Formats: sequence, structure tokens, C-alpha cells
Amino acid sequence: MTYRVPVRDTGLMAAARALVRRQYRDVHAVQNVTFQIATGQVVGFLGRNGAGKTTTMKILAGILHPTSGRVRVLGQVPWRRHNHYLREIALIRGSQPIGDAPELTVLDSFRYQQVLYDIAESQFKHNLAELSALLDLDSILQRQVRALSLGERMRAGLALALVYRPKILFLDEPTIGLDISAAKVVRTFIAEYSAQTGATVLLTSHSMADVESLCARLILVDDGAIAFDGPRDELRSIFAPTKLIRVTVADDDADLAGCGDILQRDGNQWLLRVDRDAAPAITARILSRFAVADLSVEEPSLENVMDQAYQRLRRTKDVTS
Amino acid sequence: MSRILRLVRLEIWRQVIAWSGAWWFLVTLIIGQAVAPLLGLFVWFHVPGAGAQVGSYYLAVICVALMTASFENHTFAQSIYSGDIAAALLRPQPPVIGPLGENLAIRLWMLLLGIPLITLVGVSVGASFSPLAILAAVPALTVAAALRFLFVWTLAMAAFWTERVHAVVAFGGVLIILLGGSAAPNALLPDPLRTIAQILPFRSMLGFPAELAAGTLAPADAAAGYAISAFWTAALGCCAVGTWRLGIRRYTTVGA
Repeated sequence: MTYRVPVRDTGLMAAARALVRRQYRDVHAVQNVTFQIATGQVVGFLGRNGAGKTTTMKILAGILHPTSGRVRVLGQVPWRRHNHYLREIALIRGSQPIGDAPELTVLDSFRYQQVLYDIAESQFKHNLAELSALLDLDSILQRQVRALSLGERMRAGLALALVYRPKILFLDEPTIGLDISAAKVVRTFIAEYSAQTGATVLLTSHSMADVESLCARLILVDDGAIAFDGPRDELRSIFAPTKLIRVTVADDDADLAGCGDILQRDGNQWLLRVDRDAAPAITARILSRFAVADLSVEEPSLENVMDQAYQRLRRTKDVTS
Repeated sequence: MSRILRLVRLEIWRQVIAWSGAWWFLVTLIIGQAVAPLLGLFVWFHVPGAGAQVGSYYLAVICVALMTASFENHTFAQSIYSGDIAAALLRPQPPVIGPLGENLAIRLWMLLLGIPLITLVGVSVGASFSPLAILAAVPALTVAAALRFLFVWTLAMAAFWTERVHAVVAFGGVLIILLGGSAAPNALLPDPLRTIAQILPFRSMLGFPAELAAGTLAPADAAAGYAISAFWTAALGCCAVGTWRLGIRRYTTVGA
């Protein structure tokens, strides 16, 4: 997907020249992105700001028409936007979960969805009741959209998008701006919906809690290209090939300096970083040499892994450019 | 077809509710639509050669203006600028239903809120209409409503290319005022301006239904007016479809 954007130098003369002769620059928002997602998978689509996540998602949903390449979703060409395709997908943006007029009540919006997606009355009532129970919507159905909090909007937006039972969910930052409890409700609901209906989910999020709890498979994009595609744990081993050993020793004079990189020391408590492969041997050595009161081996947080991945990708880019 | 009609009806209902909170803005829109015909009325009402029906004609122009007013530069173009059109594109319905429903809802509100103004002007000028003339004007009013929507919607699609869509639509509005029968009734325009105005679509959007309602047209002129209206409806319909295809291609390739 390549955009042609106008460019010019600063200053009045450059602006005047641009009136006569415009100059453009090609911006490759997404290039050489190839992946397949099986039915029912929940996949995290991650990357830095401007990496090409949302552009890819818009192409898959049918909003954008790529300048080249081949895309099929459910066997359809998305940007043709055939009605039977649009009935099978939902794009939910955390920044704008409800696209409806703010004067309408949530129930008005549901009724609109019912007509739009040709949902039979009995099916509609069943789906609405189920969604209301899962997302605790009863208290907000009669309220105007404008009066809803961000969390309530997100819950309502999710329910509105799912009342017609789409087979594919494109979730763009679904928990952005939500407090911890509201984000947890959304995450739990997405997981349950996917498990119950077998829906395929493609999720972009900067919240590693979302990714950790929902996505076994991650696709990492950088500069419009795929930098990683595989299981979440594999991402850890590639971009963070270390583990953390947290030790509390009984002896005040114990010195664990030779066991790994010391990240933190607080009295008898040590936090060491060691190579992932060497972790079992080092753990055994610590247990045999020192009087250990407590020991735990931890995976680095996904947040740290992603941070290291982004840093490494940035360094690689700097070197190649 | 019945699904489309249901969707249009539902969209009108949604938009009537959505616009219910903006009555003050609707009042400004009504004033904006009524100012030019009122000015024309004040001028031509006191011109001896303007004819006895000029008061009724201008009252009809005000009614037509309120019932055909189109503001896609405020509504549809805004959805392009804000990105809301992306959500609209993913709805399984023809894309025109959204702007059309909103257009009709606004007209309903404008007619409702404009009743006091219409009554006041009608009483002031002693307007009178024959039922037959009104009957003859109803199809022309429907065509005028379609024409003006197609015209303004097409102009508003300039938002796919420029952020100055209001200037484009305002220019179209000026043409409607000057050549549509608001600045002066078509019969009172000097030649060749009158002939040009009769051929162009602007009279069909405003003055033609008003002339029919006021009973100032001979049957042959009415038939010619209908033929011209039909031609322009087809032409602007094609323009709207073509511009939509070009615009949406640009939108979906340049970025949403």
C-alpha cells in the first residue's frame, strides 16, 4: 500500500512554487506483508506507531484498496465490499466504538443493526439478551450514546458489532483509554465470544495485557513489513533470549555476582538476568552453592520483550539505512 | 426493493432523532434558505409589471427551498473529513442511503420549523393557490428535491479532493439563487439570460415547481419544464455516480 503525499520546502517561495509545480513522495505504508490466519485463531497484530497495523487492518476490512498485492478474507476481495462479506465482518475501533448519532439510545442503535443485518426478531432478542448478560448492558440500553462513559461506549460498541454474529473481528485498540476493570471485561468478552462462536480475531493493541491474555500467535510489523510471525513464546526467545532469576539468600555475605547480570540487589534479595538456555544450570548452581530462602525463575514481561524487539528493529533499520 | 425502502425509512427516522437536538442550527438553515426569496419578494412585490401572482410565487419558492434544501457540505463532506465515512462504507447497504436519509430528515425538520415563517409570509402577501396548480407542482417538487440533492451531493464529494468544499457548494448555491428563480422569477429575466436559465438545471431545482404552484405557466411551458427536469435528473444522477466512484477510489487508495 503506497501513498503519494505532497512535499515542499519551507518558506513562501517554496509555497508559491508548489502552486505551479507540485512535488510528491511515495510513502510505503505496507509492503511485502504476507500471512494467513486460520478460522478461529486470535492473532495479535503488533508494531510501533506508524508501523502499518491500522492500514493493514483497513485493507482487510475493505476500507482501503491496496495499490498492489492479493488479499482474500473468507474467500472474498475485501475492498469490493459485497454485502455478504460485510455481514461476516466487524471492525471495532477503540477510539470510536460507536459510529452512530449521539442522540440515539443504545437500543435504537441495536434496532438499526437488526434491520441493517436482517436479523430475525427471535434471533435478535436472543443475541441481545446474551450480549446484555455478558457485557452488563441492561442499565445502558435506554440511554443516549452521548451520555455513555468511554467504558460503556466500548461495551455497547462491541455488542453492536457482535449482535449479527460476525465471523471475523478486526479489533483496533479495543481497550484504549479504558480503566483496568473495563479493559478486563472487554478482554474476557472477546475471549469468550471467540471460543463460543469460533470467530477469527485480529487484534492490534499497545496493551500487552490484551495481547498476553488473548493472542497465542503474534504478528509483528515494522515499517510496513512483517518482522515476526509465530507463537508468543517464540517472540520472547528471539527478542528476549534471557530469563530473570529472583533469589533471596539466607547468608548476608553471599555473592551472586558470577551467576548472571545483576539487575537489582536489595539486601539479601537479588534479581539476576541470565541466558534462557543457561537458566536451569545457573539455578542448580545457586541452589547448590548458597543457602537459598526463596528462588523463582521468571519470563521477562511481554512489555519488555516488545520494547527490546522495537529497539532491535530500530537499530537494524539504522544500520541498513 | 422493500429492504432499501425500509433502510431509507429507518435512516430518516434515525436522522430525525439525531437532528432533534440541533433545532437552533436548523433555524439558521431556514433563515439562510429564506433570505434570498424574501429579498426577491420585497423587490418584485412592488414592481408593477411583475404580475399579480408574484407574492404567491415567492411563497411557493420559500416552501420549495425549505423542502429541497441540501446541506451535504455540512453532513456528507464532514463524514469524509472526520473519517466517519469509513464506518459507513462497511455497512451492508447502498452508500447513498446515509446521505439521502439525513437530507430528507433535515428537510422534514426545516419544513416543520419553517411553518410559522411560511404562514407569516402567506398572510402578508395574500397568497392564493388553486388545488389543481398545486397538484401539477407536486411531481415537479419531487424532481426538484432529487435534483438539488444530486447537485449538492456531487459538489460535496469535492471533499474527496479538497478541504475547501464549502466554497464549492456555496458557488453552486449562488447559481441556484441567480438562475433558479430566487433573485427574479424566470419570466422576468431579460433575454438571453431567461433562455439560459430555462435550459440549465437550477430553475428545475427551485423556480419551476413554484411557477407551477402559482399557476403562472402555460401547459406547453410546463411540459417543456418537465422534460428539462427529467433530462437534468438523469444527467446529475450519472454525474453523482461517476463522482462517487472516482472519489471513493481516491479515498480508498489515498487513505482513510
